[in-house]
Amino acid sequence: MRDDPSVIALVRRVSDGDKEAWSEIAERYSPLVWSICARYQLSRPDIDDVAQGVWLMLVEKVRDLREPAALPGWLATTARNECLRVLRTARRYDPDGLPADDMMPPDLATRAIEEGLLEAELGVALRAAFAELQPACHKLLSLLISDPPPAYADVSKTLGIPVGSIGPTRARCLGQLRRSPHLAGFLTERVGAIKIKETGR
Amino acid sequence: MGTGMTDDELLDALRRAVTARHEVPADFVAAARDAFAWHNIDAELARLTYDSHTADHALATRTEAASIRALTFTSGRLTIELEVGHDSLVGQVVPAEPAVITVLPKTGRETVLQADEIGCFCVEPIPLGQFRLRCRTPAGVETMTSWITL
Repeated sequence: MRDDPSVIALVRRVSDGDKEAWSEIAERYSPLVWSICARYQLSRPDIDDVAQGVWLMLVEKVRDLREPAALPGWLATTARNECLRVLRTARRYDPDGLPADDMMPPDLATRAIEEGLLEAELGVALRAAFAELQPACHKLLSLLISDPPPAYADVSKTLGIPVGSIGPTRARCLGQLRRSPHLAGFLTERVGAIKIKETGR
Repeated sequence: MGTGMTDDELLDALRRAVTARHEVPADFVAAARDAFAWHNIDAELARLTYDSHTADHALATRTEAASIRALTFTSGRLTIELEVGHDSLVGQVVPAEPAVITVLPKTGRETVLQADEIGCFCVEPIPLGQFRLRCRTPAGVETMTSWITL
């Protein structure tokens, strides 16, 4: 999703000093920053330190971003660099303490970042699409994705719809989700990325 | 559109997306939002680059001298060294400059201090809770440390 028009618009608005647009970026991409920190198994204070570095750097550099659409990639790379800085700070005298991720060949490490990024971007798109579903669909899918997955009999009771209609309604609601403009071009691009992975490139 | 995933896969992806958002603490997102307050501040961020506390932990040794904690904050232009004593915080700005140091607690009033000719300053008492230091050199270079909790 390298050319998501909503990201470009958000970055432009932030460059003009729009606080609402900044909040939207923070809300959308915090899970991305969080997930990268989680990969490095940092403590919560270290995670906060990383995030602070990432967001403050973005505040400083947002006007100079050459490709606004590349924001998620920029965030992922910056978060990774900040994680490594934090780890180096803690392990200054401990050369054996390098994170396993950093002992990977650079192309493998890059690929791990790219896969995480793809998942995070799909997450952003899915959450945006999900938030705009019709209320009845939003309710049904919310129930269906709860953990553990509920029995259809319970869904029927909670929503007051016949068990027999849950399957067709689920299909209709997922269809609605698929057609969301937020996901436009995304699902097919994902297939492309998975194919690249399978062929080992 | 829609050829990429089956319904089950799409529902799984949605579950992961919603879970990923729920795993992120609210104050983490709030801190990201608050970072915008920096957009018109002309200070450079000095980040923690050394902490004797975590360095000792990484070494997993118990040195008796570990009672004094030393921290180093680095920006592109200068370094702020801090030593945590029993009831005060002794700092030095490197390169040495008679900078104006402002202690900015997360809650409560800020304190302004003057570093001496060799860049030394003393914060007394040690701030409770989170705080950061802003350093302004005579030439007008502004630097702000990341948040510090002692």
